[in-house]
Amino acid sequence: METSGGLGISLEVCGLSRVFGARRALDGVSFTLPEGAFLSIFGPNGAGKTTLLRVLSTLAPPSSGTATVLGKDVLEDASKLREHIGLISHNPLLYPDLSAEENLQFFADIYCLDCPQERIRELLSAVELDHRCLDIVRTFSRGMLQRLSIARALLHSPEMLFLDEPYSGLDPHAVDILDALLARIRKRHTFVMVSHDLEKGLELCSHALILAKGKVVLFEERNRIDVGEFKGLYRQTVGMGVS
Amino acid sequence: MELRTKEMLTSMGLYALLVLLVYHLAFSQVDSYDVTPIGAGLLWLAIVFTSLLGLNRSLVHEKDQGCLEALLLSPIDRPVIFFGKAAGNLLFLLIVEVIIVPLFHFLFLQNIEMSGAVWMLALALFVGSLGIAGVGTLLATMSVNTKGKDFILAVLFVPVMFPLLYAMVAALSAVITGEVLFPGEWVGEYWRALGLGAGYDAIMLLIAFGLYEFIIGA
Amino acid sequence: MGKTAEKAGFLGFSIDVWMYLLLGLGAVLTTVDLVLAFLFAPLVLGAGAGGTAVINGVAVSNQLLLSQKIFFFHVPVAISSFLVILFAAYYSIRFLMTRDKGFDIKARVATEVTLMLVVLTLITGDLWTRYEWDAWWVWEPRLTTYFILTLLVAGYFVLRNSVEDEERRAVYAAVFCIIAAVDAPISFMITRLVPTKMHPVVLRSGGGLTGIQLLAFLLGMFGMLMIAWVVFKLRERQEFASERIEALKAARES
Repeated sequence: METSGGLGISLEVCGLSRVFGARRALDGVSFTLPEGAFLSIFGPNGAGKTTLLRVLSTLAPPSSGTATVLGKDVLEDASKLREHIGLISHNPLLYPDLSAEENLQFFADIYCLDCPQERIRELLSAVELDHRCLDIVRTFSRGMLQRLSIARALLHSPEMLFLDEPYSGLDPHAVDILDALLARIRKRHTFVMVSHDLEKGLELCSHALILAKGKVVLFEERNRIDVGEFKGLYRQTVGMGVS
Repeated sequence: MELRTKEMLTSMGLYALLVLLVYHLAFSQVDSYDVTPIGAGLLWLAIVFTSLLGLNRSLVHEKDQGCLEALLLSPIDRPVIFFGKAAGNLLFLLIVEVIIVPLFHFLFLQNIEMSGAVWMLALALFVGSLGIAGVGTLLATMSVNTKGKDFILAVLFVPVMFPLLYAMVAALSAVITGEVLFPGEWVGEYWRALGLGAGYDAIMLLIAFGLYEFIIGA
Repeated sequence: MGKTAEKAGFLGFSIDVWMYLLLGLGAVLTTVDLVLAFLFAPLVLGAGAGGTAVINGVAVSNQLLLSQKIFFFHVPVAISSFLVILFAAYYSIRFLMTRDKGFDIKARVATEVTLMLVVLTLITGDLWTRYEWDAWWVWEPRLTTYFILTLLVAGYFVLRNSVEDEERRAVYAAVFCIIAAVDAPISFMITRLVPTKMHPVVLRSGGGLTGIQLLAFLLGMFGMLMIAWVVFKLRERQEFASERIEALKAARES
């Protein structure tokens, strides 16, 4: 495992395809991402962004090619890998009939955490939900749900975080909290984010990837990207996806 | 492994009561009716309807908020998820049965001397519920991802469960009316039906267990 | 995806030739089977038809002796339907193992053929029960099992139609097909073995078919299997062709 050094590779994708019949959701995707990076994936609808995220987070198997996350193959070492990754999606992935604390307790049990109480309290205060920790999740607003869902994803201190449109449907205040949270944990984690929001995605990322029709159109470090050119390319691919 | 609210028990229990009321409606034009010969069938029918409701809701809940996905992301093994879900559904079904079976007896079979002991009744109910919960969990996991959730579940569930229900109606029938209908041989027939039901459980649970991974992974 | 199989031949003839050959042969065999059954095969005696039997409260007369001729058509269809669903289940298993859409198509087409055969079985069986038992429908193990099988096969297609994502649809259908193929024999066993004193269970042991009967039966059996195979093959080819069109369209776009 290369995770010891500062310049280790956290994510290595090689010729990754996901094919069913004539439909190619992913078509020979290859790239490598250094540890501690923040990758933003852009692309039109149906470009394969979510599929890529699902393959990387072991939810869907690749048809061919390999993906190695944190030095573990997504197929071979799936269950070991799952201990080290977290997912924040636009879906909260929480039980609506349990309280905030019970939800975290439930997932803490599943991940077999050592001293869950402490960790749960710490996370709840980090997402500013400690005053509502006994309330049933169903009564939460969209922003609160999303914050709790972040706490859930961070519960087991994953080294790699996957974000699937985390900003969609959030009010400005919730966006601020999410920004602050991401900034705080930025150093210790590697991020892969799927987003429609070009501005936000470019602002956060260290690497950017444009995906269209399951193929990589562009993969580049953020500081080598000219924003104007990048936007032009993005518009072009979006147009391509529509036609 | 799973906590759930009272809400579900209430709705399942209430639904079962409604089914019993509808039964009465079906007999309402007969002066004094005797449902004993078909009692076992009626009881299983109530259980099947209630379990359809419960199975469907147990997974719709999970699906809406993506909890199943959260479980899939966690390091627990996929088979454990199946066992957890099936055990949860089994538990719910058993609790509902504890309510509706005495109620059914009270409402429809009051004057009957039951042939078998209560444990025989309980055993038959358990064997039936085990199959319903196991296969039902698999089918419900499929049906929540389809367009006509509850309809699809019913369409798949009833024919697949048919052999088990057939055997269990026979077993329960032997317990309730055995002495009257097959004097002398009903105990043997009870065990035979129960054995067949258990065989069905064993085969189908094994298959459901083996195939569940494909279903939740899709 | 299936391309190699389509090119391959057998004994020097291409699959195309075999298909039409077998279709013709199947048709001839089933016809010969019917002709034999009606004109030459002696009536099956014994097997409950020796005297009058009381079934469903109706005394069965000698008319059933002629009506049993339908068995030379009915039984081959029934057996074929069962064999074909086993094939469907086999393709489903292969699909789950390989995730190759070709197997999904094969499984679906095989299930379509099963549906055709099951419906044929029900119709021919029903004609017979009408004469033999003087009732259009009797809840007898064999009929019940076929009724269940029909519902299972129908359920398979209902399930397919209600799943939008293509791959998920294929996986669900494969899983259900396997369950259905296992459930059908269990249902046959259980409806037979569970003690019921309410209905007459009409058990008919094979009771030894004589030479010409056996010949007629076997001809029907092979003829039916050939027809089933050709229907399967034709549908499969059609599906693969449309699949290839889709692939070409997709390739042209990008």
